[in-house]
Amino acid sequence: MEHVYPNGVKALDGVSLRIGEGEVVAVMGENGAGKTTLLKHLNGLLKPTRGRVIVDGKDTREATVAELSRKVGIVFQNAEDMFFSGSVWEETEFALRNFGFSEDVISKRVEWALRFMELWDYRSKSPFMLSGGEKKRLALAVILAWSPEIIVLDEPTIGQDQLQKEKMIEVIRLLNTQGKTVILSSHDIEFVAELRPRIILMSGGRIVGDGRAEDILTNMSLLESCRLIPPQIVQLTSRLGFMGIRAKLASPEDVAKEIAERIRV
Amino acid sequence: MSALLQGLQFHPGKTIIHRLDPRVKLVISILLLATTLMYLEVTVITLVIVVEALIAYAARVVGRWARTVYGAAPLIALVFLMNYTANVFMMGEAFSVEGLYRAFAAAYRLVALLAAFSIFFLTTTPEELGMALTKLKVPYIYTFAFISAIRFAPVLAQELQSILDAQRSRGLELDKGGPLTRARRYIPVLVPLLVSVLRRSYELAEAMEVKCFGAKKERTYLKTLRLGRRDYAALSLAIPLFTLAAYIRVMVPIELP
Repeated sequence: MEHVYPNGVKALDGVSLRIGEGEVVAVMGENGAGKTTLLKHLNGLLKPTRGRVIVDGKDTREATVAELSRKVGIVFQNAEDMFFSGSVWEETEFALRNFGFSEDVISKRVEWALRFMELWDYRSKSPFMLSGGEKKRLALAVILAWSPEIIVLDEPTIGQDQLQKEKMIEVIRLLNTQGKTVILSSHDIEFVAELRPRIILMSGGRIVGDGRAEDILTNMSLLESCRLIPPQIVQLTSRLGFMGIRAKLASPEDVAKEIAERIRV
Repeated sequence: MSALLQGLQFHPGKTIIHRLDPRVKLVISILLLATTLMYLEVTVITLVIVVEALIAYAARVVGRWARTVYGAAPLIALVFLMNYTANVFMMGEAFSVEGLYRAFAAAYRLVALLAAFSIFFLTTTPEELGMALTKLKVPYIYTFAFISAIRFAPVLAQELQSILDAQRSRGLELDKGGPLTRARRYIPVLVPLLVSVLRRSYELAEAMEVKCFGAKKERTYLKTLRLGRRDYAALSLAIPLFTLAAYIRVMVPIELP
């Protein structure tokens, strides 16, 4: 499909892809590659100007954003764009009321989401009084509360410290084991390297690479054409050719073991 | 709405219109405005719009300019409706074709008015506008406030868009229910917008203080405005034309549709 903005900018050009149930997918590429535009098509905020987007068998042009959001929960980059309530609890309730859940389901779901994101103690605090990392967690809790089958995270690591990034990976893995499909956009290569999802590489509104993290992140020329720097472990292993080690995406421990092995021989 | 705003935003270019002194452009816009206010005849207003279209063409902004005028259609329709209903129901005027015509002309006038200022804003940077205001002896604090407001309008429009995206993704449907519930539905949009505007203004104030805003009473400027040959030529074309229009209005009693 294709998307042309009203000002004439063609943000997506000949994009064609299929994402299956239970997949973890990272959309990568430099700023302006079309990552966010692609994600906004998933719940119908944007409709393709050519081609079709089908979510769970339904053409997005024939459904409202509210209907699609029930299935596809998008967590946007800037968490503060969504806060308006007096308390963390009310903030989390909002979407559930919009979707027409019953009162007892609402209170159960809100409690679950806040506990899951470790925000239970803040439930009566104002969302605006939270720290940056907590705001980001609340933004995620707000979406998880209605339990959409597909969870979309737009740049989940921006403004997060290392510890928060590790937690984010844990959360994504946990959601995935619960059967959720997780689609995220990022240009944080180390984060993606650790998560090891399926990677869709974008450049200038086109998909230029689609495959396992192990294959995409070791393809130096492809990464360079997208202005991405390979993960440190790949950079390291790519320089160990003289020892007979190939560029690979592996844990530091495995690489260390391999080096030790070669030295011993 | 975004189309309307687009036509009130600077669009870079190197045409003769872009290079005119902002004061000259302001004067011409005001003369066009005055001409539209003098006449209530549809023919004359059409003529003014044609002149504006030619200027827009010379500045290579016809597309954006036309979209602004088009985007203002709902506003203009509203003016027409209010004008007409006010005349009929409040002034007790009988229904007549003439009344319809007058209401239409009043709304149509607005098109010419908006069109003139759209060209001005499309071809003038906020800085130039600021310089023009300073030359007109407007205190710099007010000028600064004014040009920041202009400059932040597109930023704000963008912010509004991302807030709308975020809230619609949470199942917010703005166009459902009666007028009262609809107004209530805007709270989730207006609160984050207000918060963001306040934060932005604090940040701007801090950035200004860091750059020593107001440290010295007498401000100096990197660029100063000077009228060139081009500017005098434009004025010597615009002023006689306006005088002619004014003369005809006062002295020549002609009936035009």
